[in-house]
Amino acid sequence: MDAQLFHIFRNTPLGRETLLQSIYFCKKAGASLIIYMPEFTKFLMYFENDVVQIDLDNSYLTSPETALKHAKELLDQGKIKARFLEPKNFTASTLPDIATNFDFMCCPRSISDLSSKIGLGYIGPRVRRIVNSARFPVLITSPVFKKWRSIAVFFGGSANAINALKLGFRISRASGMPLSVYTHMEKASKESYEEIIKNEKLEEEMDRYVTEWHMFERGKFEENIYDVPHDALVVLGAYGHSLIKNIFFGSKMEKIQSTITNNLLIAGPNYGLGQK
Amino acid sequence: MRILRRWRHPSSWTIFRLDDRLLLILIAVIVGTCSGLAAVALNRSLIAMFEWLHHFRHYWWSFIMPAIGAALSALFLDKMVKEGAGHGVPEVIYSVSRYGGLMRFRSSFSRLISSCLTIGSGGSAGPEAPVVMSGAAIGSNIAKLFSLNDRQRVTIVGCGAAGAISSIFNAPIAGMVFSIEVILGEWKAVNIVPIAIASVAGTEISRILQGNQIAFSHRLFHIGHLDIVACIGLAIISAVASVLLTRLLRSMHGVSKKAPFPIWVRAAAGGCAVGIIGIFLPIVLGEGYHSVRAMIEGVFTQGFGIVALAIFAKILATSLTLGWGGSGGIFAPCLVIGSLAGLTYHRGLVLLWPSVPWVNEGCFALLGMAGLISGMLHAPLTGIFLIIEITGSYEVILPLIIVSVISTTLCHYIEPVSFYLKELVEKGQLLRPGTDARVLSDLSVQELLEKDCIIVKQNMLLRNFINIVKKSHRNYFPVEDERTGHFLGMIHLDDIRSYLFNPLMYDAVVLGQIMDTDVKVVYLDDDLSEVLRKMDMNRLFSMPVIANRKFIGMISKATLLDKYRKELMVQTDQ
Repeated sequence: MDAQLFHIFRNTPLGRETLLQSIYFCKKAGASLIIYMPEFTKFLMYFENDVVQIDLDNSYLTSPETALKHAKELLDQGKIKARFLEPKNFTASTLPDIATNFDFMCCPRSISDLSSKIGLGYIGPRVRRIVNSARFPVLITSPVFKKWRSIAVFFGGSANAINALKLGFRISRASGMPLSVYTHMEKASKESYEEIIKNEKLEEEMDRYVTEWHMFERGKFEENIYDVPHDALVVLGAYGHSLIKNIFFGSKMEKIQSTITNNLLIAGPNYGLGQK
Repeated sequence: MRILRRWRHPSSWTIFRLDDRLLLILIAVIVGTCSGLAAVALNRSLIAMFEWLHHFRHYWWSFIMPAIGAALSALFLDKMVKEGAGHGVPEVIYSVSRYGGLMRFRSSFSRLISSCLTIGSGGSAGPEAPVVMSGAAIGSNIAKLFSLNDRQRVTIVGCGAAGAISSIFNAPIAGMVFSIEVILGEWKAVNIVPIAIASVAGTEISRILQGNQIAFSHRLFHIGHLDIVACIGLAIISAVASVLLTRLLRSMHGVSKKAPFPIWVRAAAGGCAVGIIGIFLPIVLGEGYHSVRAMIEGVFTQGFGIVALAIFAKILATSLTLGWGGSGGIFAPCLVIGSLAGLTYHRGLVLLWPSVPWVNEGCFALLGMAGLISGMLHAPLTGIFLIIEITGSYEVILPLIIVSVISTTLCHYIEPVSFYLKELVEKGQLLRPGTDARVLSDLSVQELLEKDCIIVKQNMLLRNFINIVKKSHRNYFPVEDERTGHFLGMIHLDDIRSYLFNPLMYDAVVLGQIMDTDVKVVYLDDDLSEVLRKMDMNRLFSMPVIANRKFIGMISKATLLDKYRKELMVQTDQ
């Protein structure tokens, strides 16, 4: 069955770039596109154990009379069909509920703040909560439409990283694109990472999909990121560690997202729960 | 580090995982206490606002004070906390009914502030619905912290609502009954124990911080047989007033929505109108408890005509306040309107039959309150227990039951659902536990998909198709377009029966010629109740499921009912 990618359309040039990115992702990953044209600046997403209110930046409602036309033009250019989502349930009359049973969701780095704020190193609070709560991975796009021609998975050995690796396999399988794995070796040895792969019974898939496994023994993490191709879709896990650990040791996802401009596909701590 | 991580997740503490009932009881204490504190905070804030604004009420321009309060309240809700405005209680019921009681954190404080602005400035509304929403949201967020499942979370949301009502009225039984009767809609021991404990906690907080006072104390009533008979008339009047309030509130909502102004301007307009009414009839301003107290004590001095007029004025003022964007609840206005109705009725009786030794008019005021609450909420038990507790008068229990029950029944005939549930029922969003819609809402089309169908192409020859039929155990075959993969129609075995015994046709007929293109289909996001309705209407036993114009599987009535049964067992076992 087709996977579904959920996209919130913003009728601005930035929104156009994001939709182009979603269209490209859907074509490559074989997913069908679900577009929501917001009529209100807020909506609710009810997850398993959380409810997130998305307060959209006002630019999402720019020229509503042209929004549908603009979106359809982009879909026609991309030769892809999409379904336009109509909310069925409303928590309050101006507060629609949006389903959360998608396979992917596409977001720019922020959906609540002014688009002028969006830049490297900044992910909006709502996007963070979606990543934290969702069972689907979130595609955080680069500000300008950028085709990706390979897949780069960051693998640090954690449970979240394993989920990200499996996600990488899934995208590679659907798109036929080469997959590289990047590991910044901290205290562990190469063998210990291989052991993790073995324990997770991922050896066969590693052999089938992974073209290269880059293991960085030296250098700072931020410096080594330079080796990631500029046109790769970066797949990584996020928020797998506790807040305290993140405060003391920093979050790898934060370092990556503040350093590279690639499209990011982020698997949060709940990703894959429904599939187990 | 491990200790710190565990500290962050109370749900993983061993003590809380020993026994689920113990866990619920412990959380109920916390939630009851927090919601009790929220209720006390709102109560104190309202008193402070009344005292602060009291000096300005004598100026000619004081009529704009409710307008300013309502506008600020609407601005706060719309711009600062960005909540969709509403009375609060329907949102709590909606969240309980559809999303296992998940509520936003911001709801735990937003309505407290907005209702304080509306009511404190003179708007005609009550603080009870806001504290119910606040308590429920506190409960929901604490349940999230402890990673409780949907069923447990719903109970804790009920605890929040119970704690809030218990605290604001100093009425633990009313809080408990309101939560079960109105919010949860199911009487189960698993709910009752934690909710009772939360009610006690909420009440105790109120008693510690505000003293153990009965809100509307009075002298003893000596009720005669004639008084009890006369109660039937009062119940009818209460029912009429309830229906009038319900309809006017809803029509004001409708009118307000059509007005081409921002919400804060609409709220200000409503508040201004209330302020103008308040110049002539100050009883309509604010929550109105002071007037209720006077009526129950039998010291309300206004004449019959003024009291009767005040009923309509209060109904209008409440509709203008809440219908046009102000924040607050209908509990307190119901108490005021009910006591005014009781008073009017009593004075009418005295006028008609002056020689009959009627009970004191305060008793009828009290009974009117119960009639209004029961009629508006369709919750007779809440009405009965609330009035007994807030007046401390068990001696009126018999007429109280009569008024509550008759008022509820009459309202039920005229308005089949209560004010809180009306909008939810109209939108088909009320899913009470154990009902058909609720069970179906917990299932999705995706989990019922049967994917063992063999898909055929429209250009396939009948001969090839017959070979496929031999291998398949199904009677239905979806047909798709060779080039695009789009779903075109279905072939049923009956469709080929006439060709089966004519081998000449095997190479002459392609499936595109004989397939059924007028097929009822299901989409992934369709509601199962709707799917079931379609099946029943068209006498179908299975239907194809389509996504992105492609066939993805079949959904059959047999599988649906099988899953339904299992889901029902899960829901009733919990």
